[in-house]
Amino acid sequence: MGTGFLGYLARRVGRVVLSLVAVSLITFTLLQLAPGNFADIQRISSGATTIGSAGTEDVVNAFESRYGADVPQWKQYLIFMKGAVTWDFGPSYKYPTLDVQEIIATAFPISATLALLSVILALLIALPIGVFAALRQNSPADHGMMFLVTLGHALPGFLSAAFLVLLFTATLHLLPSSGWQGPQNLLMPVLALAIGPAAVLARYVRSSMLETLREEYVTAAFAKGGPRRTVIIRHALRNSLIPLVTVVGPLLASLMTGTVFIEALFRIPGLGLYFATAAASRDMPLLMGSTLFFAVILMVTNLLVDLVYGVLDPRIRADGGGGPRRAGTGSGKDSAGRNGKDKDRGWVRSRRRKLSPPISAQEVQ
Amino acid sequence: MTGPLLSVRDLRTHFVRGKETLRAVQGVSFDVEPGRALAIVGESGSGKTVTARSLLRLLPRTARIANGQAILRVPKRAGASGGHRRGSGSASDAHREVDLLALPERELRRVRGREVGMVFQNAMEAMNPTLTLERQLTEHLLWHGICGKTEARERAVRALGDVGIPEPERRIRTYPFQLSGGMRQRAMIAMAMLTEPALLIADEPTTAVDVTVQRQILDLLVEVKNRGTGIVMITHDLGVARYFCDDVVVMYAGRVVERAPTTALLDEPQHPYSVGLLGSSVELGDRARPLLPIPGSPPDLARLPSGCAFHPRCGRAELPRCQTDQDLVTLTDGRETACWKAVADA
Repeated sequence: MGTGFLGYLARRVGRVVLSLVAVSLITFTLLQLAPGNFADIQRISSGATTIGSAGTEDVVNAFESRYGADVPQWKQYLIFMKGAVTWDFGPSYKYPTLDVQEIIATAFPISATLALLSVILALLIALPIGVFAALRQNSPADHGMMFLVTLGHALPGFLSAAFLVLLFTATLHLLPSSGWQGPQNLLMPVLALAIGPAAVLARYVRSSMLETLREEYVTAAFAKGGPRRTVIIRHALRNSLIPLVTVVGPLLASLMTGTVFIEALFRIPGLGLYFATAAASRDMPLLMGSTLFFAVILMVTNLLVDLVYGVLDPRIRADGGGGPRRAGTGSGKDSAGRNGKDKDRGWVRSRRRKLSPPISAQEVQ
Repeated sequence: MTGPLLSVRDLRTHFVRGKETLRAVQGVSFDVEPGRALAIVGESGSGKTVTARSLLRLLPRTARIANGQAILRVPKRAGASGGHRRGSGSASDAHREVDLLALPERELRRVRGREVGMVFQNAMEAMNPTLTLERQLTEHLLWHGICGKTEARERAVRALGDVGIPEPERRIRTYPFQLSGGMRQRAMIAMAMLTEPALLIADEPTTAVDVTVQRQILDLLVEVKNRGTGIVMITHDLGVARYFCDDVVVMYAGRVVERAPTTALLDEPQHPYSVGLLGSSVELGDRARPLLPIPGSPPDLARLPSGCAFHPRCGRAELPRCQTDQDLVTLTDGRETACWKAVADA
């Protein structure tokens, strides 16, 4: 990989920093443009409920102690960003006793646990279904599984969550419907979160697998006398999973940054819930802090996906290092999409290229 | 040697597409002798590749082998681990015959890559892009239980060196895309020959490489042939056949239209299609004579004309005689043709 790789990494990190600045600016601006501010909204809601009017005082105090009285908005932004660089977002408006980074520190592990378990479960469901369906393409088994997959895909998460509660809590009395005390609280939200992604991934695995099974090197491996199972796993499955990384990465990121509905439904104190509350109540520090945090998670995941991709596919690894390399007289597949103008392109492009199979023509046939 | 190495009789392979049946191969027969090369020549769509792949049953799921035999003489092996093939003992005792088309899947697997090697058109596509050469070469030996891991690696390195790949110790650790096209093709041949199969099927092994490399690949295959391996060479290039093959089978629309020793076919083609194929060859044609392309295009297998499938494109066709089927007829000099006019002329 050498210096070419380090240069690549440096450029990517530089781009992440630029993106973060842009994200923070846009979020801050939008927040200023949004009607109402935290105090207004608190007043309205407290007027309705007649509790929490004392909180407004605390907020004003907390705000002024950090940002000073009557500072212009651009200065607020700068003060916020100055803190943000050192991972100090200041106190939240809504929860004035807590700093935003403390909220993130307690809520993120919860969302991350949920996300990680859901993705693992989704993969455990999707892989066998996808592979099996591909191996029996156009058979009744294939059609049946794809029907179920479409059903799972179409079912919204909150609906399956409600169904799970009905089944496990209301009918079987096996699991508590809400809370965050232990594994018994994990099962239903993880299941509810995994069903949709599992359906998407199964479809993806199937079409990717179908494509790989048609590759000449799979035939060639059979021609060498390879046992069916070995050829399918080592040659077909292994290569068809590489593009999956590009789907799983962003999926994991989006789940990690919180899933408002599921968290609300099961009363899980995850990040999504805080984020939604922050947006609704114009809680500037919490909203800015969580937005920036989400952005970092997303971009780091994307970077990781690209790096993992390079590890899994030696052709891309070679590209990222010493610049683009013509793949001999090779097939159109490899000379396509690489004109060598930009060193990064090898990584990015080939990723895009790999993203295309799920909706390719053969599935329509 | 008693009898041919491979004897194919009346091979018929169909593709089922909805309610339609495409007869891609319609009754192909040929023999391959040890140490000799047979070319199967024809345009794309003539069924030559399907014929080759039918032999090892490496066909897409829509394909059915409807009929035929492919009798291969394979050496009797003591067990899966028996490594020595070219041993002592009389030929008839040491061999048994298997029908490749009727063999159970489990036994077929032991024949694939072991008794019959296969070389593909494009090594870039026929080698797994994400596995090193080492992995792909050694797995071949390991699958057939020929030797252990360490020895497999040694053999693989030696095989790469034998086909003229420089620094095989280093190259074996690289991925296929890191080799040049010619080297990749050699590596693929080395891989196929690792197990010393008695028969090698080469499916257009020179089509995807540069002209300068073509010759090297052919020379490599000549070496393989001279070591006693029988070769089935699929090609659309009569130049390749001339350079390398002892006999030629010309296929058109799934049928054999002519079979002859290479020199006889090139000097005096009998079937009008062979004549046309020769006339449209850049390399083999008489330079003083203009190229004569065959008019029209290969027929749609779903809508084949009755009788000789070539007659709509044939300059010598006479209706209605050409609309009735014509089997291969053996001429006095032992060659065979499926054109009644050629038979009448002879």
